[in-house]
Amino acid sequence: MLKFVVRRVLWTIPIILLVIFMTFWMMRAIKGSPFRRSDKAVPPAVLANLNRNFGLDKPWYVQYVRYVKDVSTLNLGPSLVLRDQGVNDIVREHFPVSAELGGLAMLFAAVIGIPLGILSALRVNTWIDYVGQFISNLGFAIPSFFTATLFIYFFGAQWRIFPTNGWDTPSSKVLPVIALGLFPLTYFARLVRGQMLETLQQDYVRTAKAKGLRWRRVVTVHVLRNSLIPAITAAGPILGGLITGSFIIENIFAIPGIGRYYVTSVEGRDYSTVMGITVLLAVLIIIANMFVDIAYGILDPRTRDARS
Amino acid sequence: MAVNPEEVDVRTDVIRHEIAASDWEAGGAIRQASLWRDAWRRFTHNKAAVVSMVFFLVMLLYVIIVPFASPYDPNAVNFNIAYLSPSLHHPFGTDEFGRDLFVRTALGGRISIGIGFAATFAILIIGVLYGSISGFVGGWLDNGLMRFLDALYGLPYLPFAIITLAIFGTVNFWTMVVALTIASWFTTARVMRGQIITLKENDYVRAAHAIGARWHRVLFRHLLPNTLGIAIVFIFLELPNVVLGEAFLSFLGLGINPPNASWGSLAEDGNEQYLSHPLLIVIPSVAIAWLILTAFFVADGLRDALDPRSEAAA
Repeated sequence: MLKFVVRRVLWTIPIILLVIFMTFWMMRAIKGSPFRRSDKAVPPAVLANLNRNFGLDKPWYVQYVRYVKDVSTLNLGPSLVLRDQGVNDIVREHFPVSAELGGLAMLFAAVIGIPLGILSALRVNTWIDYVGQFISNLGFAIPSFFTATLFIYFFGAQWRIFPTNGWDTPSSKVLPVIALGLFPLTYFARLVRGQMLETLQQDYVRTAKAKGLRWRRVVTVHVLRNSLIPAITAAGPILGGLITGSFIIENIFAIPGIGRYYVTSVEGRDYSTVMGITVLLAVLIIIANMFVDIAYGILDPRTRDARS
Repeated sequence: MAVNPEEVDVRTDVIRHEIAASDWEAGGAIRQASLWRDAWRRFTHNKAAVVSMVFFLVMLLYVIIVPFASPYDPNAVNFNIAYLSPSLHHPFGTDEFGRDLFVRTALGGRISIGIGFAATFAILIIGVLYGSISGFVGGWLDNGLMRFLDALYGLPYLPFAIITLAIFGTVNFWTMVVALTIASWFTTARVMRGQIITLKENDYVRAAHAIGARWHRVLFRHLLPNTLGIAIVFIFLELPNVVLGEAFLSFLGLGINPPNASWGSLAEDGNEQYLSHPLLIVIPSVAIAWLILTAFFVADGLRDALDPRSEAAA
């Protein structure tokens, strides 16, 4: 068991290095320097100076090694555009907002989506199932910018129940959390329903029923346990979905989070910030996947060999 | 096959998950002709799938035909007819420049669906190549290629698509296709490799090897044709993903430049004035949802039709 955990943890190191390398390589491939952006031409001497200042004149492998060193000490480097501010400051300022938004959305999705999936599976092909299926199909197909706009239109503008932008009062958090949580909600619901239906057909469920266990007990002890374990593997993809969604939702609700800042940084060609945020998000997902794998390995020992 | 969580990706991947879990029947080369006929029969007996297919085709016809048939210039500015409500002359009304939305939505669909199909085919080609090399050669190469996919697994595709677009420095139809392809080919490659590995274990493949068939004959005659079914399903799974990805990018203002518009940039345009003119965001959003839903149900029906065993399980 310990061996499995250690191997899995060590395995994340080359993955993180590879992802940093890819991001690094892609950032280098972008044409145009951040210092050339202003209307006034920057004198060559100043440009050389600036490049030297930020280490942009060194060969790529020197820059890469230096960057990896910096990242491993949790230093994402200076911002190329904002003077006096490091990428760390930007992350510190904006990331907690995104983390809170994503965390609340995930919670919302799990609290509604998982029971919805369970209920749909237990009442398969009844109106409850159809309503559940209908909701999850809609939530799956309608782009999040549209649901967000609908929310703002009705709850914000027409009925004036909730504020439509910012991230300060609890009531201002309701709409963005629901808008962002809708997609993971449908994801949970679909996955849990599918798993439940599969589990319900297993022999051990039939045996449990046959030996006279009450149905409620069969469901709670045998079916739920074996159906919900696979649901935790959805955590990785859902995290990815939340990150993608947060770009959109933060933009629409004017939330000062990392996704909104990312788009601004790309437009401002602030490489080190774009790179820092990309690496941060990637590492976040890699680590989440690692935890999922380990948790899964503990809960279902059969998977240990295959996944280490 | 045990449930492989790595095959779960975002959005349409619940289905991929089900495909992986159901151990898709990879075979049937002997009764090839009737396999497709059977599949066709099963598909046409699935009402949801047939209806979805019809609606999907209606959307395709709309985006193809309307720009030819419409009397209006999609980019002509005329402020006298700005913000018209839907009428017989302008079924979707007009936008802030007095441009007819019926024809602009169709043109936007051409771009969105065009990018969608182009990127989907690129993803399939890369996926089949990568997957069959990895699965067919096996050994350390397979190991290395799969480890590489592991590393990329679950990375958020939006940042990578955005960086790719930034590398090109310009956004047009083809750079968008490349960006979306680069950001989302992993799952397909992984599933294709799984297919090849499963197929390789079939008796007819062993038999082919045994009677001395060369590797390219085994690959092109026995293995690749049998991945066709799942490839077709993946067209309808990837298409909505790509269309949605493009819509997100355009919505963030990183899409194709005006006056050209995709559904995403039409929605972005509408988002700036949704309080006064909600129709401007409703129409492109409904178009996107229409395409995603119909493609999704078609994929679902095709999957059931081409894999008889999943039908029995459901």
